[in-house]
Parts: sequence; C-alpha cells; structure tokens
Amino acid sequence: MSLSPLQVTNLVKHYGPVRALNGVSFSVQPGEVFGLLGPNGAGKTSLISIVTTLEKATGGQVHVFGEPLGKESAVAKCKIGWVPQEIINHGYFSTKEILEFHAGYYGVAQADVAIEELLRRLDLWEHKDKKVRQLSGGMKRRLMIAKALVHRPQLLLLDEPTAGVDVELRLKLWQFVKDLRQQGLSILLTTHYLEEAEHLCDRVAIIHKGELRAIDRTEDLIQKWSRKRVQLHLNRDVVLKHADLMSGEGRCWTFMTSQNKPLGALLSELQIEVNDIVDVQMTDGSLEDVFVHFTQKGAL
Amino acid sequence: MTVDLVWTPFKTLLRREIARFMKVAAQTVVTPFINASLYLLIFGVSLGQKIEIGNGLPYLAFLIPGLVMMGCLNNAFQNTSSSIIASKFGGDLEDLKAAPIRSWQILAALGIGALVRGLMVAAVTWSAGAVAYYAQFGQWLGFHNLGIVLLFLVLGGLIFANIGISVGFWARNFDQLSAVGGFILLPLIYLGGVFFSTDQLPEFWRNVAMGNPLLYMINGLRFGAIGVSDVDWLTALAVSILALAATFGLAMLSLKKGSFHRW
Repeated sequence: MSLSPLQVTNLVKHYGPVRALNGVSFSVQPGEVFGLLGPNGAGKTSLISIVTTLEKATGGQVHVFGEPLGKESAVAKCKIGWVPQEIINHGYFSTKEILEFHAGYYGVAQADVAIEELLRRLDLWEHKDKKVRQLSGGMKRRLMIAKALVHRPQLLLLDEPTAGVDVELRLKLWQFVKDLRQQGLSILLTTHYLEEAEHLCDRVAIIHKGELRAIDRTEDLIQKWSRKRVQLHLNRDVVLKHADLMSGEGRCWTFMTSQNKPLGALLSELQIEVNDIVDVQMTDGSLEDVFVHFTQKGAL
Repeated sequence: MTVDLVWTPFKTLLRREIARFMKVAAQTVVTPFINASLYLLIFGVSLGQKIEIGNGLPYLAFLIPGLVMMGCLNNAFQNTSSSIIASKFGGDLEDLKAAPIRSWQILAALGIGALVRGLMVAAVTWSAGAVAYYAQFGQWLGFHNLGIVLLFLVLGGLIFANIGISVGFWARNFDQLSAVGGFILLPLIYLGGVFFSTDQLPEFWRNVAMGNPLLYMINGLRFGAIGVSDVDWLTALAVSILALAATFGLAMLSLKKGSFHRW
C-alpha cells in the first residue's frame, strides 16, 4: 500500500484565544488534486503554514509520505514543493539564479537541466536573466511555480495559485496542474475560485471556522449537497404546488430539486403532460452551492 | 538528480550571501574604503601629526588597525542583519524555513558570508592605510604578527555576524535595526579604542572602557598589527572567544525563536 503524501491528524492551532484550526484531519491520496476550500479566516493558510513548518501546530500531527513533519525533518521537507499565496521578491537575483539557489537549498547542486526544462515549459526561458521586479504579474506567478518544482517534489502545495491572474493565464495554469497530476504529483490546492476547485480537484475538503465541515469526491459532494434548477415554460396558465417550488406564476415556474431526481419524475408529481411544455431549462448544481451550504451563517 | 542535504544547502546559502553583497559592491566595499580613507586623511594624516600616544609610534600607525577592525565589525554586522531584514521584506526568508536547511547551516553560511565581506573591507582599509603611511613616512607599515591579526579579524567578524543575525530576527522594522546599530553598536565601537589609547583616559573612564568587550577585539588586532595594545593580547583573545560563544548562542536562539514571516 502506498503511503499518503500528506496525512493531517487532529490538527489544532491557536493564536492566543483565537482557534484557527480545531482538530482538522484528512489525507491526500497519491496522484490526486485535493482542494482545501473555506472562506477567509477559515484556517487554510494556518494549515499550509504548519505543513511548510512556518508555524508550529498547537496540537495534532502532520505526516508527509509517512514521516512526521517537524522543523528539522529534512527528508520530509524535500518531498514538498510550495507555491505561496504572495509573490516573493528576490531583490538582486535573476530568475535563473533564484532557481539555482532554491534547488541548492533542497540539496540539488546541479539543476541546470531541470531549470531549463521548467523555464521553457513555463514560457520563462527568455526571461531567465531578468529580476523579479522586471517580470509581469503572470510571469512572477509562473516563477513561483517553477521554484516549487525545481527540486522535483512529490507533493505540491498550491496556495491560491491563480489569485489576481487573468483568464488566459488561469486556464494555462489549470492545464499545467492537470499535466502535473498526470505525471503522478500529488497536489494540495487552496483557492477562492470554486470553479477552479470544481474543474481541477478530485476531492475537496471544506473548512469553516477551523473545523472540517465536509470532505468527499468533488462530484459526490455536488451530487449530494447541491440542487439543480429546473425552469418550466408552459403553453397555458396553471397553478402548481410542490415542495421543490421556488417561484412562478401563470406559464413560467422555477423549481430547485435534487440532483438525482429525473425530470420525468418531477413532471409526473406536478401532473404536467409533455405536450403542455414549451421549453425546459435545467442548470446543474455547483460546488458553490455546496460551499454556501457548509459555510453560510449557522450552517451545521 | 543527486541530493546532498549536508553541504549543498550550506554552500548554496553561502554563495548567495556573497553574491548578494558583491552585486552591490559599490555600497558594500567601495563606500567603506572611502570612509576609511577620509578617517585616515582627517585623523591620521592631518590631526594625527599633533597627537601623541606615548609609545613612540606615529598616531597613523595606531589608527590604522583600529579602522581596519571597525570596518570589519561594521560590515559583518550590516551583512547579516540587512540580509535577514531584506529577506523578511521580500519574503524569501520563508523559503529558508520551508527548505530542508538546518539551523547550523544557516548560521554558518550567514556568518561566513558576513566574515568574507568584513575581511574584504578590512583588506581595502589596510591598503588605504598602508598607502597613507607610505606617503607620510616613506616606508610600508608591516605586520607585527599577521596570524594574530587574522585571528582577531575572524573572531570579531563572526561575533558581529552573530549579533547581526540576532538583531535581524528580532527587529520588527528598519527603525529597530537602525536603533541597535546607531545607539548601541556604533558607540561601543567608537569608544572601544579605535581612535585613542585608554592610557590617555582618566582612571574612572579607563575602568569604564575596560568593560567594553570591543576594546579587547580592537586591541588584540592592534597588537598583531603593530605590537602595541592597551590589554594583554591573550586576555583579549579569551574575552573574544567568550563573546563568540555568547553571540553564537544568542544567534541560535534567535533563529529558533525568531520569526521567518514576511513583513
């Protein structure tokens, strides 16, 4: 049985009286993209900070490929690549020098081949002699990803990797993340973009106020916790009553119904014939519905 | 891909530290050279002819070792403290925390990097002093004992590198860094016998000066350079070794307890 790339067990983090994490447990499976979602202040950054050893946990344990993580756990740290939320400015050094130094910190003395491959893959090779401040916002973001990958980690932590980037770059980065997953890298992704999580993540965990509220396969969460929207346009005025009814009058009616319920079943319960229907519009539920369900005021 | 977690992280960080100050050599090496030249011109060549130090040597010969040590200490301190502060500001100090670099590797790399800068400044200061001495007296200023000179430069450089590391991790803004440098270290350096001999002080102030650990480093180096010192050089060596041990402990504590978070 292969070891879990990241096993978080009963993780607790207190900042004085503030409980940022309150007994969070989950594991990332080999080769999956695992999404960690939550509103601002939910505890995502605290969790990433503990995994990168920037912060010390108040309680609980973190294992990386079976090894307990601590300040001096060099072998476990070697297996982690980290893309921080904010751009790091390396002052006087060029893009290539930054990657050389970063590889060296992880014990890789000769990384020329890996550096060239990464810079070319991320369209940064022509900018290898530029300093961080001379790069565009998108290039800086790609440089952060190159840095995280230069020592060939097995677990990648992506903390809001597409925050503030344009749509084109976001789509490119999504494709890049998919390629990395195909190569067998395990990825922990935190993001505010629920569409991004829905698009990329095999599994998702939702944390709120430092507690794990939901964890499951992305499609299963959507299936279980969201409802699809059904709009009926009829050829005659009717009066309808149904538990799933949202709004409507006359010829136009809207229902929010279970993802699993077939349209035929709903029409049958409403006693509407197919011949009465002019048009039907159906919108599937999304991860956003699930997110709102678990994080709205008073949820759970 | 070969991975070596013992020497490669240390050598990489050391290379980065040296590359960092060499990228701004005008600021880190040339400026101290100009400062030292001005001190030599004003205090050594000009005013120095009117100053008696009572041991038969010209004042310029007395001044040069003091300026060499001052340059070394100042620059070693500035190198580690500004490296850490700049890394806090830019955010790359977090990289060091997340990477598999051990505390001793960080301390050794930062310390030796600062020492290299301190020794470079010491060398250019000595060169400027030697030229000024030759211009005034028509002969080159030799070393009484080069080994002792190097020993005290290494000790002093590492001590101030450790102080810079401690202050860098402790400081929460640039003001705090400036305050330590300007209000504590600079007075200690200036009052540590760079420009004067404690023999010239009244007894009370001489006793006060003897409590300044920098006096021992500066006089240890001065003994190695010109064979003259206000304190026994072995006493100076013992005090310097104790100071190195204390500042190493302080730097290690700062590294373990200090913040790597970006500002």
